[in-house]
Amino acid sequence: MGVLRYVAKRLGLYLAVLFIGLTITFMLPRLMPTNPVDGYIGQLQSRANGTLTSEAIAEMRTNLEQLYGLNGDIFTQYVGYLKRVVLQFDFGPSFTYYPQPVSAMILNALPWTLGLLLTATFIAWVLGNMVGLVAGYFHKKRAASVLEFLGILLYPIPYYILAVTVLLLLAYIFPIFPLSPTFPVGQMTPEKIGMIFYNSLLPGITLVLAGFGWNILSMKALAVATTEEPYVTYARLKGASNWTRMTRYVFRNALLPQVTALALSLGMVFNGALLTEMIFSYPGIGLIMRTAATGGDYNVLYGAITLSIIAVATAGLVIDLIYPLLDPRIRHK
Amino acid sequence: MIRLNDLKISYRIGSRVIDAVDGVSLTIPEGCIVGIAGESGSGKSTLMKAIYGDIQAPMYISRGSIDYGFKGSDGKPVTTANIRDEWFKTISYVPQSSMNSLNPVIRIGKQFTDFPGTDRDKKRVLERATAFLGKLGLPAEVMTSYPHQLSGGMRQRVMIGLATFFQPGLIIADEPTTALDVVVQKEILMLLMELQEEMNNTILVVSHDMGVHYQVTHKMLIMYAGKVVEYGDTESVFADPQHAYTKMLIDSLPTIGDDSMRGVMASAAGAGGDRAFGVGTGLVEVKPNHFVSLANETAGVPA
Ligand SMILES: Nc1ncnc2c1ncn2[C@@H]1O[C@H](COP(=O)(O)OP(=O)(O)OP(=O)(O)O)[C@@H](O)[C@H]1O
Ligand SMILES: [Mg+2]
Repeated sequence: MGVLRYVAKRLGLYLAVLFIGLTITFMLPRLMPTNPVDGYIGQLQSRANGTLTSEAIAEMRTNLEQLYGLNGDIFTQYVGYLKRVVLQFDFGPSFTYYPQPVSAMILNALPWTLGLLLTATFIAWVLGNMVGLVAGYFHKKRAASVLEFLGILLYPIPYYILAVTVLLLLAYIFPIFPLSPTFPVGQMTPEKIGMIFYNSLLPGITLVLAGFGWNILSMKALAVATTEEPYVTYARLKGASNWTRMTRYVFRNALLPQVTALALSLGMVFNGALLTEMIFSYPGIGLIMRTAATGGDYNVLYGAITLSIIAVATAGLVIDLIYPLLDPRIRHK
Repeated sequence: MIRLNDLKISYRIGSRVIDAVDGVSLTIPEGCIVGIAGESGSGKSTLMKAIYGDIQAPMYISRGSIDYGFKGSDGKPVTTANIRDEWFKTISYVPQSSMNSLNPVIRIGKQFTDFPGTDRDKKRVLERATAFLGKLGLPAEVMTSYPHQLSGGMRQRVMIGLATFFQPGLIIADEPTTALDVVVQKEILMLLMELQEEMNNTILVVSHDMGVHYQVTHKMLIMYAGKVVEYGDTESVFADPQHAYTKMLIDSLPTIGDDSMRGVMASAAGAGGDRAFGVGTGLVEVKPNHFVSLANETAGVPA
């Protein structure tokens, strides 16, 4: 199959997944027993102690109805909804921070979350795979089981316990990092960037530790199985060095499923964002989602859900596009 | 010339020791194809591994030694201790599972250059390898292909190519054609034969197919229960098998339209289980270049 056709097919699939995801988010408010618009406006009124003018309420209502596609017949509603979300990435105003648009809030928080979570996930993956590879390749040597033990130790610890422990250890008992770090916003200066980097280290470390264990165990299991493959035995009988066998034979083959795992976990970063950002008061999507969830800020939640759908679907697309580069058996299908 | 001196090879599993090869003494002359046959578990692969020098836990030489009567690429005599340095230089190996013995994610060409036996000028190696594979009937595209793009027969040709590319003095092939269909099997073995005639090296080939042995080998080595029960020139062994087990193996060769041997095999196998045939301790030269283990030959055979 031609490369172009392959890419086109994957892109088509990607768009289809996005479309289905968006359609489901469109359906959700319709399946709810109560009209969310009335609910909001009621809540908003009581928050504002009834000081909202009826014009403001009417404007809100149109706004909300438009967002949820509640005016016009269902088809017009659907088209309007897709248009707003896809073409303008518009989810209407935030409820808690009215009239700030949700899309602006999300776009502001996005670099924070991606910067921290993607980097940490990737580092955990690289380190975990390196350690797991050595542990798996030399699984018959006793020293290698120490490496595996690292994975066995780290993997089962729930993230919040790990994060709080690290926080206690490195910010309270040994106050290397601030206990409640501040993350300056606005115009960036070198000092500010340095501060952000320094204060991100602590949440970063917890994330790396949390992802590390799984990657070690998973790579170790894959590497052990791969060392038993006849082509690895044959490479040994050819006289290929341990290094060649470990990297070019075991690693290259055990890597394939791990790439899938990486892409999936990158797609899931917004899940991880929630806990991390809450514990370390890190100003990303997770924090916004928390505030939105407690405040019933549905617009923000819909924005975040849509973003998650995009992230997961994009991760799938990236897997599909990268995998053939790594595995010739798929490339030549 | 390779000499095995009272070679005993064992596996240690926990506190248990299995003697897979139990006291083998014989001499393999240079420049001939030796066929090795024998029941499953009789120690053929173990013996091949030992000669190849792939001795690692749980396998070990518990007695005796192997003398390699040839020099390594550095001019020093080859011994069990240094033979690993000779892998794919003066001694090479054809594995059984050609299907899975090539790295699936690396092109064939690269598999000619990724081990210490090859010289540093990768481009020159690749050119020579392409020409060499051409002689084995493989098109040049094979070098840039991945294993999954080749048929089983082509892959086994590549394995033969890898094993013979460095013109080694000794090639060990443990069931090199088991996974292939009969026609391709013959082709591969004929290829091995041609190459051997050209290079005049020694080839040890393990196979369960007595027909193959008859066609391809110069000498036959029959193993039974960890011992060599018969060893001699192929013609002599086939024309006048001495040991009861050899007789059974040869008789089991199907002759078209002849069903009579099936009953014999079944009764031989059924009668005494694993140790249905007597095995002596040493080999006796009953004819020129034809040895058999005769001692208490009939002792183990129940009536
Ligand atoms: N890695 C191992 N660990 C323990 N025992 C082994 C090992 N490999 C072989 N053995 C034992 O050594 C004996 C000889 O095995 P070997 O593989 O040499 O037989 P074989 O003649 O090659 O049989 P086949 O025709 O089935 O290939 C068998 O009893 C087997 O159980
Ligand atoms: Mg065997």
